[in-house]
Order: sequence, then C-alpha cells, then structure tokens
Amino acid sequence: MSVAFKSAVDDSVVDELRAIIPDEGRVLPNLSSRVNRTRVPAPFPVHRWAEFMPDVAVLPTSAEEVSEVVKLANRLQIPVVPRAGGTGLSDGAVPLRGGILVDVKLMNEIHEIDLVDRTVTVGPGINMLKLNEELKRHGVFYPDDPASYPCSLVGGRIGTGGWSLIGSRFGHTRDNVISMQVVLPTGEIVEIAEGGGRKLRKSSTGLTLKHLFTGHQGTLGITTEATLDLVPRPEVEFAAFFAFDDYMKAYETTGVLAKSGLATLAGVVLFDEWKIAYLRRDDEAYIPQPASVKAVVAVAMYGSRVEVEPASKRVMQLGRSLGGKYLGDEISAGDWASRHDRYATPLHGRDKDGQAVMMSWHCEDAALNYSVLPQVREEWHAIVARYRERYGIFDDWGMFAYTNGAFKPWADYLVEIDVGIWESRLDDENWAGWVACKREISEVTLKYGGSITACHGATREGDAELVPAEMGSSWEVVKRIKRALDPNNIMNPGKQSLDEAYASGNGSAP
Amino acid sequence: MSIFRLGDQKPPEPQRVTDVVVTRFEHVFEVDPELMTLTGQQELPAWDTKRIVDSRWDHLDWMHDHFADDVLLAGEESETMPPAERAMPSEEEADPRPVPGDTDGVGWIERPAVDPPDVREP
Repeated sequence: MSVAFKSAVDDSVVDELRAIIPDEGRVLPNLSSRVNRTRVPAPFPVHRWAEFMPDVAVLPTSAEEVSEVVKLANRLQIPVVPRAGGTGLSDGAVPLRGGILVDVKLMNEIHEIDLVDRTVTVGPGINMLKLNEELKRHGVFYPDDPASYPCSLVGGRIGTGGWSLIGSRFGHTRDNVISMQVVLPTGEIVEIAEGGGRKLRKSSTGLTLKHLFTGHQGTLGITTEATLDLVPRPEVEFAAFFAFDDYMKAYETTGVLAKSGLATLAGVVLFDEWKIAYLRRDDEAYIPQPASVKAVVAVAMYGSRVEVEPASKRVMQLGRSLGGKYLGDEISAGDWASRHDRYATPLHGRDKDGQAVMMSWHCEDAALNYSVLPQVREEWHAIVARYRERYGIFDDWGMFAYTNGAFKPWADYLVEIDVGIWESRLDDENWAGWVACKREISEVTLKYGGSITACHGATREGDAELVPAEMGSSWEVVKRIKRALDPNNIMNPGKQSLDEAYASGNGSAP
Repeated sequence: MSIFRLGDQKPPEPQRVTDVVVTRFEHVFEVDPELMTLTGQQELPAWDTKRIVDSRWDHLDWMHDHFADDVLLAGEESETMPPAERAMPSEEEADPRPVPGDTDGVGWIERPAVDPPDVREP
C-alpha cells in the first residue's frame, strides 16, 4: 500500500533530508513510521487516519539538524510538525496537512547538572521520570508532574505549556523552564529566556519571550534544548482523601483547603458525583464504598518533614470540618500514587445498555474560577447526557476540579469532564457529533469567563475555532506575532485558528 | 518450595459485589461477565491475576519513590468502610519479587550503561 504525499514532499525532498541527516534510520518516509506518528491518545477520527499522516518523519539529534530541516521546509513551504512523546490530549502533535514530522525523541541527553546554580540542561526528548531517576542521586528534583509523567517528554511539555499535578507547590511547566534554545520557523537557532542569562529566573530586560515560547503548540518553533529549575528533593509526601455525602460540602471543603495558606500544599482536587459513579463501577478503591459517598476531595503535600508533618494535621482537620470522612491511609496513598500515571489505566466505558466497550479517553479541560464550578458542572453534564442519548457512543466519566494557580492555588481551577468515546463506531456523522459536543462544552466555559483549556491546548476541531473569541482584542496581536515569526505558515499549520494570520485566510502564505 | 498444581489455577466462581461488579479473589474486582458480551474477555489463571495485582502495588511503590523519600500517612483507617472491607493486598502478602541478577524470575531489565552528564558540584 502506498499513501500519496499531501504536501510538497517528494523524493527529491527526501533526498535533501538525507543529506542533512546522513543516517537512513533517521529519515523515515516508510508507511509504518508515518502511521505511528499520526495520532495522539486523544480521540481521533480513526476512519480518516491517512488524512492526518505526515509525509515523512525525521529524528534529528542536534539543533543544527533541526535548523537545516526547518530551513528546507521554509524554502519549499512544506508544513513542519514537532512531536515529542505524542502523549498530548489535544491535537498539538497531529499533522493536519502532512509535511515533515520532526520527532525529537533522540534528543534525550542530560547536558549538564548544575548543583551550584540549581539547574539541569536537557534535550527536549527526555522524559521527566528518567530525568528524575538521574537527579535523585544528587538530592534534587525537576517538579513537572503531568498525569503522563512516565511517558511524556520535556519538549512536549514546553510546546503544550503543560500543567502539573503538583503545580500549586512547585509551579507548572512554564514556571520550571528557565530558558531554552529554539529553532524558529525560518530556521534560525535562538536562545530564549526571561531576558538574557541562561540560568536566571527573573529579568526585566527587553521583552519576556520565555512565555511566548511556552505553550504555542508547536506553532512558533521547535525547542531543541531547555534549562530547567531544580528544587530540593522532597523528604516526604502526604496525601489525604475525604468522602462527602453531598457535592456542595465537598466543593466548600475544596475552597477551605485551597485557601489554607499551607506552603507545602501541592494540589487539591474535587471529584464530583459523576466521577464517583464512574469509579464505583471500575476502580478497586471505590467499588466497595458505601452509596453515601457522593463526592471526594483529595489533597497532596510535598516538602521537608518539619513542614509537612504539622501541616498534615491541619489538613486532616480542615478536610473533616464540613463533614468529610477520611478514606483511609491505603486509599489515600495508593490512589494519589496512581494519579501520576493515568495513561496506565485501561479505558473502557458503557454503552447505553450498560455493556462494557473499549473507549478512548477525551478530557475536555478548561480553566475556571472557583465561584462558577457548581453551575458549569451541571451544564457540562447535561450536554454530554444529550449527546450520549443521541449518538450512543459517548460515556460520561465524570468531572474533577483541580487547583490551577501556580504557588497560589486559591481562586482558579483546572476543570475537566472525562468523556469516553467508542472509537470503533466513529464515522463522519458520529465524529461531527463529538466535535459539536466538545464545542458546546467550550462555549459554556467562555460564557462563565473561563479559558477553554488550562492544560491540553486548543488545537483541535471543536475548540480551535473558539480561540479568537477567547483571545478577544489581543487576537490581532497574536496573529501579527505568528505572521512575523512564521512568514510562510509552515510551523504546525492549521492549529488554533492561526491560519487567520495570513492574508488569504485559508492558511496559505501571502 | 511451592508446587505448581494446574487445578489450583482455575479461578473460583465469582461472587457478586454490586449490580455491575463481581469478585473471585479478595479485593480483586471484575466487571460483571453479563456486561462483557461486546468485549472479549481473556480467561486468566489464578497466578496471572496475582501477578497483575502484585505488579500494581509494585508500580505504586515505585511511583511514590519518584517523588519523595518517604510517604507520610495520617495513621488512620477508613471512616467510610466497615473494618472487614478495609484491608487491601499488602506488600507482606506478596511472594518474593525478582531482584537484579535473579535470572530465574520473571525477568529483570538492567538499565543500559550511559555516559554520565556533566555535574557542577558546590
């Protein structure tokens, strides 16, 4: 079977790529290499797989190779899509127009560990778990902790602007990246930081470019090296889970804990009634729980023992202050440990008759203020119920709200509704139904003053088209920046409505 | 030394836990087979179920170790579960695990040697 090139990639381009990367095993136009770099774990239109395949995948090992590949692509106006772990829950790493997929997995070296100025400099292909295994022997820790901790990579975390489970204590990805080396869409290699200085955490010189290059979803360049912050390895962790017979009591307890001011607080998470109902059918910690358990609040803390030990007593007091019941040491410690690795969870849901079916996992995320969580919860579940009834391929896996502010967790939350999707039943009609469902959920978010994504990125149908509405008056600035840095719209084109930056409006370069 | 008896490996008949869940081993839960008509189920011998459960606890311990030197516990049992339901499989109940050099075990993958990164010491 052969699949035609979708972009301007042809045999002569492959030859040029092989001249840049003189290793046949790292320039991969073969079908299996492309098929395997097409989707991410998020629900995917499997019936249209070939439509999203790259034309060729390359595995560079240096910034210079990345630079030359991008220069070639820019010269010939070929799309370039960066890909790290491919673990994203939106479509950041999914090629929408074919082209060259730059897989950074081989750039996985630890270049330097600086225990004096407390930094580690790495390639974008390294995984946080493997990095921390190396750092452990030095008594330091890189505190970026997604639910894909064992499998996602630093480069993808930067591209996505990742959110961390322990961000309330240590910050999120953008807070832990001090500086980086980036290949721009025109191929130049540049150093990006707060101002100058590769290891400086705060500067007021020039423009603060670091944030611009964190969370752009691969639309502004490719990170080829990153200098990351190191924190002392925590002596202890403490987790406590509290059950409630009423959602509102759990909601109020979440607020009390988040506003406690405890400095070692790493996160507070609230599971709603739908989430508990979902866990009660498939999770060993919740199946035996009595029916009175309707909502759960979980707390995690990290730090030195002298801080966490007394703070844990305060958490136990606050967790019970509005009727919460402790779920016990085993569930608290065990369930918390499993939160670092949700990708190991077998995914199955129920059809309308209650039959178990294999489903993929869609987490529709948003950033929302504390005050609107109860109302958004009701509206989101009503939307999913309506689509489940109509299409029969969706399953409501419940919602959670998780403290979202770095270091200051008291007022806004990462909120997710998890929806199971029966992928093997997808066709054009069902896919359109899912996209419409997703769009309705995002519209509720905007109605309540939220952001349509706190964590995953707004890169796929159903929310990408709402990016201009959310950005409002700043959208014009965004488009100017995109156009200035990527004059030919080669860098991950089609994402986040950025095609609007170009005169034709369809993504073609002017 | 334990003796492997094939007859011991047949899982016991399931006991109902809830309207959608059954159990064959203490604290090991399964979707009710009546709800698995659209999704094929694999028949697991008892040893394989035990292996999977043990591996899960290993995995959680390993994950804890990534984030802190020690796990601090409140030191309290569940306030929602009756005492008989509180216990879960513990590390003590598990069989000995393979260790580096234990070639008779299920297999242990040594981490490949890599060049150490440059380290700037204080």
